[in-house]
Amino acid sequence: MPQKIDKLLFIIISIGCLASCKPKFDVPKPVKGNIDISRYIAIGSSITAGYADGALYYEAQKVSFANILAEQFKLIGGGHFNIPLVPASSNGISIIAGNTLNIAARSTFANRTDCKGIVSLGPVKLNPTENYGFFSSNIYNGTLPFNNLGLPNTKAIYIAFKGYGNIANNPSGNYNPFYRRMASYPPSSSILSDAVNQNPTFFSLLIGNDDVMAFALNGGASDTITSTLRFNYHIDTIINNLTKNGAKGVIGNIPDISSLPYFSTIPFNGLTIDSAQVVQLNNLYSPLQININFTVGSNPFVITDASSNFLGFRQILQNEYVLLNVPLDSVKCNSYGSLIPIPDKYVLTASEISLIQTAISDYNIKLKAVAQLKGLAFVDVNSFYKQIKTGILYNGISLNAQFVKGGVFSLDGLQLNPIGQALLANEFIKSINLTYSSTIPEVDVTKYKGINFP
Amino acid sequence: MTIFKKFIISLLFFPLFIKSQGFQVNLQGQKQQGMGGAGTAFIQDAAALFYNPGGASFLNKNEVNIGITPVFAKGAFLDANTNNTAETRSPVSTPFSAYGIFGLKDSSNLKFGLAIYTPFGSTVQWQDNWMGRFALTRLELKVIFFQPTFSYKISSKLGLGAGFIYSTGKVNLQKDIPVVDNSGTYGHATLDGKATGIGFNAGIYFRPVKKLSIGLTYRSQVNMKVKDGLATFKVPSSLSENFPNGKFTSKLPLPQVATLGFGLHATSKLDFALDINYVVWKAYDTLAFDYVNNTGSLPDTKSVRNYKNIFAFRFGGQYKITENFTARLGCAYGITPVQTGYVTPETPDANRINYTAGLGYFFGKNFKMDFSFLFTALKRKDTNNETNLSGTYKTNVVAPGVSMLYIF
Repeated sequence: MPQKIDKLLFIIISIGCLASCKPKFDVPKPVKGNIDISRYIAIGSSITAGYADGALYYEAQKVSFANILAEQFKLIGGGHFNIPLVPASSNGISIIAGNTLNIAARSTFANRTDCKGIVSLGPVKLNPTENYGFFSSNIYNGTLPFNNLGLPNTKAIYIAFKGYGNIANNPSGNYNPFYRRMASYPPSSSILSDAVNQNPTFFSLLIGNDDVMAFALNGGASDTITSTLRFNYHIDTIINNLTKNGAKGVIGNIPDISSLPYFSTIPFNGLTIDSAQVVQLNNLYSPLQININFTVGSNPFVITDASSNFLGFRQILQNEYVLLNVPLDSVKCNSYGSLIPIPDKYVLTASEISLIQTAISDYNIKLKAVAQLKGLAFVDVNSFYKQIKTGILYNGISLNAQFVKGGVFSLDGLQLNPIGQALLANEFIKSINLTYSSTIPEVDVTKYKGINFP
Repeated sequence: MTIFKKFIISLLFFPLFIKSQGFQVNLQGQKQQGMGGAGTAFIQDAAALFYNPGGASFLNKNEVNIGITPVFAKGAFLDANTNNTAETRSPVSTPFSAYGIFGLKDSSNLKFGLAIYTPFGSTVQWQDNWMGRFALTRLELKVIFFQPTFSYKISSKLGLGAGFIYSTGKVNLQKDIPVVDNSGTYGHATLDGKATGIGFNAGIYFRPVKKLSIGLTYRSQVNMKVKDGLATFKVPSSLSENFPNGKFTSKLPLPQVATLGFGLHATSKLDFALDINYVVWKAYDTLAFDYVNNTGSLPDTKSVRNYKNIFAFRFGGQYKITENFTARLGCAYGITPVQTGYVTPETPDANRINYTAGLGYFFGKNFKMDFSFLFTALKRKDTNNETNLSGTYKTNVVAPGVSMLYIF
């Protein structure tokens, strides 16, 4: 009797195993709609290149939205997507503030000690593993040309510039060592000619950011903003050349700087002082009669502004920005922002912000107009960044534009981290599907990383 | 008797697992399961202690009835944005029921009984690194009711009964935290706790004429309170202060259920049973976790569940093929308590139709075995308000069960 029961139990359990078949889904096959994705070229600046954490490096290049797109395009017949990868062993490479001989590596998130001896987590620059020779060795391969032509720190006006990889053009500023490394012919090729020569069937264009960014990142103290007229002319040139053989494409507009942590992380009133300091500072400033006052607690920083008064400094206004690269040790220990006005290059004043925002808004009008005119897909990248700033929720992950904590931006406070790039790629996919009746699936953002914590 | 001992001991070590109507289990008694889960007005064996304590007094003999229903559930999820799929890796699980009913004399009107059963519980384990892992990776919920019961036959037509419920259980909830260390490992949270609660189960059984019986039962809400739960966090070391391990409290309401049942005894061989359940799921409006050590990264959480009250309809028939051999068929239709916007990977519930069948065989006078079989397939598409996880859940459930009845 017991044996019989054991057998019976075994049979019942076996039946259960067999009968409990896995649920199946009829997943529709992705369709390509009316696009030919076989030769995809990405043109753009740092975001397209996969620049992050203050440098161009292997892992970040792999997750640039352009590369993510190319991977998804393979589902509808996309071809190989060749990227000018930095070696995986490299700590990454970037150029410090226009000086082409001054090289830096990417940042990691690690402990550092400030001037007061307090240890806290923050971006810490790695030591460069590359020297300037990195740029001089050209890695172009005619049989396998680069599909990702996204180039760090590149303005729209340089896309069609012949000889942008020619070091002889360095003195005039019309030179980008990143292009020298990947150009088909550094002396006289242009990014645009390298693109057109591949006869692309599809392209993405996300450009314009750097036309204001060099100015913005330096607090308006150097560089100039590309004029709308010039910008428009160059966009037309790029698009006309890319579409002349009937290629389809997608164009993104550019984010307003108010969405970027680089400009919004350090509070305008981050000067926190006690009553003794208040007395000291007020005694010092009030005789000058330039309307600089301090109270106990939070105070607006004192900044340099030549146009403010005869002394050339004032307190910062609520709608003005102290930039993320301000030396915080100088603020904490050397009276930056109180006794010593914060230098111009670390501050964007209201008038500078207005110049930048006007330019961005003008560029965005053009970018949308040209997409409509040519019947191209259009991604409102600006709105996407604004949504991030408000906060988004993806499969249980809360994300926003806060520096580090927000989970979308990389450690430079400007470029996206892998999660941000994946989210951006999905915006492109949605727009392409909408415009070209394709059904490319979005990518699973949870498969992409944010910032690595020690 | 050794086989009984073995059987009982093995039951105690089985993990419980069920998917049914929220996290409610309706797998009690193989005869009733074979008939779609109806049995409030059709009293056949000691499982009446669960189905209708008022009807238990109508059993003429002492009985011990022990059953087990292994549940094989396979779940899958189709992500609406990516068309990626994920599957559950949930273990096979085995809700059980054990009923004993005793009278001082076989013919006495007062009966005493003890029922031990698993009315609620679910374990869902999703595959590693699935797209919803920041919502949930695993939920294990076990609840066992101990229900001492009396049942009194007022007349040959009417019986009343009631049982006190002591409930004990455990909950283990796990999910990943979206922070990554330098080796690429994500953070992970485990909330583990034991819970207890009390309640009652009461019923009236009325058989006005031979061919018709009516049952009305009420099982009270049981509030399962987790007083001393332990929250454990695995996070990158630089964040360990943000996610301190420590105690938490929580509670889970197990809903009250009112049931109206009918039994139609058509011929001496053919019976039908119908149960209508009204389940007051509205009590489950929030799943809250109150951590003793709060930080900026670890606030107390309140997840809105917003369950609604539901009806379930259970119908079945039984035919005596020979004196010793009985066959059963049934089905049940249940409305899901989970509203649009609130479907979670912990209970991807949907309206459902259960199909059931059963067999019973008497081995001599005192010993009977019953087999039951249940199949149901669930499908639900939703976008969760709290996580934005969006897609289609499917679950196939097969539950073959067996029970042994000893009459003495």
